[in-house]
Amino acid sequence: MTPNSKTETPAFARITTRREFGLAVLIALITIFVSFFDPRFLDAINLRDIIVRCAPTAIVACGMMLVIVTAEIDISVGSLMALTAAAMGIMLSENEWNLSLWIGLPATLMLGTAVGLLTGLLVTVGKVPSIIVTLGLLTALRGFTTLIMGGKNIDGLPPSLQHAAKQGFWGIPLSVWVAACVLVMTLVIIAWTPLGRRIFAFGSSRYAATMCGLSEKPLKLFVFAYTGFLTALATIVDVPRLPTIESGIGLEFELLVVTCVVVGGVSINGGRGTLLGVLLAVVLMTMIRPVLTYLEIGEEAEKWTKAIQGTLIAIAVIGDSLFRRRGRGESRS
Amino acid sequence: MTRSTRFMLLLLISLISLGCRTESGTNVGDRDKLTVCLLPKIKGIPYFTSCHTGAQEAAAELGDIELIYDGPIDGDPKEQAELIEQWIVDGVDVICIAPNAPLVVANAMKEARTAGIHVITWDADGVPESRSFFVNQATPESIGRGMVDVMIADVGPDQEGDVVIISSDATSANQNSWIDAMKPAIEESKLTLQTIKYPGENAANALADAQDLIKVYPNLKGIFGISSVSFPGAAEAVRQASKSGEIKVTGLAVPSEMKSYVDDGTVNSVVLWNTKDLGYLTVQVAKALAEGRLTDSDTSLNAGRLGEIQIEGDNVLLGDVMVFNKDNIDSF
Amino acid sequence: MNQPRAVARFNYWHELVLFGLLIGLLALAEYLSPGFLSLRGQLYLSRHLWVFAIMALSMTLIIIAGGIDLSVGSAMGLCAVAFGVTFEMTGQLHVAIIACLLTGVLGGLFNGALIARFNLHPLIVTLATYAAFRGMAEGISQGESYSQFGDRFSELSRATLLGIPLPGYLFFVLAVLVGLFLWRTPTGRSIYAIGHSAEAARFSGISVNRIRIRLYTFSGFLAGLATVIYVSRFDTAKADAGRGFELDVITAVVVGGTSIFGGRGTIVGTVLGLLLIHETRQFVGRYWQVDELKSIVVGVLLIVSVLIYQLLVTQRETRSH
Repeated sequence: MTPNSKTETPAFARITTRREFGLAVLIALITIFVSFFDPRFLDAINLRDIIVRCAPTAIVACGMMLVIVTAEIDISVGSLMALTAAAMGIMLSENEWNLSLWIGLPATLMLGTAVGLLTGLLVTVGKVPSIIVTLGLLTALRGFTTLIMGGKNIDGLPPSLQHAAKQGFWGIPLSVWVAACVLVMTLVIIAWTPLGRRIFAFGSSRYAATMCGLSEKPLKLFVFAYTGFLTALATIVDVPRLPTIESGIGLEFELLVVTCVVVGGVSINGGRGTLLGVLLAVVLMTMIRPVLTYLEIGEEAEKWTKAIQGTLIAIAVIGDSLFRRRGRGESRS
Repeated sequence: MTRSTRFMLLLLISLISLGCRTESGTNVGDRDKLTVCLLPKIKGIPYFTSCHTGAQEAAAELGDIELIYDGPIDGDPKEQAELIEQWIVDGVDVICIAPNAPLVVANAMKEARTAGIHVITWDADGVPESRSFFVNQATPESIGRGMVDVMIADVGPDQEGDVVIISSDATSANQNSWIDAMKPAIEESKLTLQTIKYPGENAANALADAQDLIKVYPNLKGIFGISSVSFPGAAEAVRQASKSGEIKVTGLAVPSEMKSYVDDGTVNSVVLWNTKDLGYLTVQVAKALAEGRLTDSDTSLNAGRLGEIQIEGDNVLLGDVMVFNKDNIDSF
Repeated sequence: MNQPRAVARFNYWHELVLFGLLIGLLALAEYLSPGFLSLRGQLYLSRHLWVFAIMALSMTLIIIAGGIDLSVGSAMGLCAVAFGVTFEMTGQLHVAIIACLLTGVLGGLFNGALIARFNLHPLIVTLATYAAFRGMAEGISQGESYSQFGDRFSELSRATLLGIPLPGYLFFVLAVLVGLFLWRTPTGRSIYAIGHSAEAARFSGISVNRIRIRLYTFSGFLAGLATVIYVSRFDTAKADAGRGFELDVITAVVVGGTSIFGGRGTIVGTVLGLLLIHETRQFVGRYWQVDELKSIVVGVLLIVSVLIYQLLVTQRETRSH
């Protein structure tokens, strides 16, 4: 929002920053610490489980990162996940409409993209700030989902979809393959397309970008639609892994994704951030729960889980800011 | 600035004068009918939806009842209190509440009684002076004990081993009261309670926690999933780890939700009561109370298709906790 | 010459729109659901409002200054636990109340210090404390609830004077004070300046950091105050107090016309926003008796109210150019 003066290399061109290094060290330290207590933490099956849990967050974080780079935000992804899950369940379940996968899955993706587009339109054409649009959608979509599900859970998703989400191919669930593809796709968009460069250009200085003749609307429409699409995609590959579709799916997911993106070093003022940082942050945030289980901290300490998560977030962002101030004496507005 | 000052004042004054219409509120709904409000802990989960079905059945059978079913979609007890207060203003006849946190709603319930509304509790009891009757299907004690008994029977009475509990949030009042009853019961048995996890009402976290617990405790014999999210989550984790039968899972759930896990042997027994009967009986009690057919000294009540129902003190007894297994789950 | 200038200088379009919406809503509600506007009922149900309303005051200031505080709901949880723990240890209500307020102040000060001293974005800091405060509350209290503070304390939130609940008076006094502060004092005006451009404010000699720290501390203090009312109303001090309140409070402030980017907003607008949301929820609850609809309607109301304002502003700008 405020024009940042930067003389450093453009963010997208750099491979690593101090933030990524710090996150990687933090992850390594925690891993060493836990495996010292319980070497089984490094078992293949546990690593696989953690990666599988990272997948949906990583998928949506790719879109969220672009949104935040344009100095916008989307806090409706958790509710959108619930809505797309309900829609997918109603369309595909053998107890409901029992449509074919070839109709149901594209329709789910289209629904997610459509809601993302709607957000984008309200932000660009309606000039309503994105935090307001998505705050409204956060409550509205959740209420709507509960309403259409009518107090029942939906199960009976097609076995092929469940199999893909649980066992997957060559021992790796579908969500991980999809997450890898999304990461590569997003990386390509950021690094090698004019679209990506424009997104970062706008985020770092809206004024300069406008003066250079760039148009803002299509960019923002794209990032919101992309996030909506990715949310639907994450729903398709991850929700069939869960026992049943209920209206509480994706509760507080938006906070998790935003936290990951922010902890990953994407500036909330736009224009700065790397995909690697976001990915590392996703791993860090996802590994907290299993780490606490493996440490066998006991039932009283379990109640401190949220406090530990909050402290870790604070350490990640504050520690980085301390380093930066000392390192470069850089001042931000 | 004077212009804006005047404008602001005008706004405020007209707003205040607008609100001033002194007269008591008229009632919502049809006056010839009895308005009965059924307030669940959480609206939108299968358990309470199935209670609602039973309540509708009773309302249809009794004829002159207008049944309102509403409650918080996130299970917030504060919102339960707000709904009661709303209903006091609307002037309904009977409020049947399943309190999520008895103390939080106690004041609102007392005020409803002062306003001449009949207040009964169902599913979970409230503070005694805040209601006239409790439609009692199970006490926290019997639920907690019941789950542990089922687990001991499933694992084998002489079997030693570890068990874990997957609850809801650390602050969930109901779950905590069950845990209080479960702990001594587990202590008396040969099982060892290793830890309690709090994944919240988040299905992905519940599944993840169960998966991790299975890996961490090799001697794990059983998992208690004591919320509507953590029970299926735990069962799914055991099934995905191909440990069905080795690790027993039990908990509270609507039987139909757990059917596929019971069929493949992951879950031997589901602890619950007949939820439809619970809703049905609640509306029957509400009607009897409003018509004065039910008084403090009664020891039984004729409750439609349920026949004669026992009353102990101010507890209307639905019957004991039921255990559903492979043999009888299809009939519910 | 006078006329267009007056139009251009008229800064209260949003308040006017809100007021119109509120009147329209009340009329519609009374028409569709007779008895909705009864004074007794309205005053009785106003108790749903005060806890939010008090926190909305400081949130208005913070958002005008270009910040945000996502941690107020969690801070309430921490304050409630502080209240409960102190009461259990000392058995004295006033000590518990002081501990509750102090916890709020310290929590707010912590937020403010991180934001101002380390130059961190408020969204990030309060996102971290959102999890940390709630987690600390759960850890300290082990999820248990504290109660039995006595009937006199419980009366505090229920008693009425001239038909108006006591917390209502507290809110109106606070609202007038905060409103006057924002409107009449140099510090109050400088909050707008900070919201417009913190950089420019700094160069014009406003001590931006000190004001920011004080704003967040004030927010923590009001969270503590709201907690006292909350605990008194529900007879329970527990770590889950105020869950989800941050979003409800922000919604009310934004519906009230405060710009989420800072620099614009009034206390009158916030009061109108609070009333509009309160009456909407009440009407939807009374007319349809479907809880899900409340969230849908409030969500749509939030978007539409800002959309209407934006359309008005854009139209005005195109006309004046």
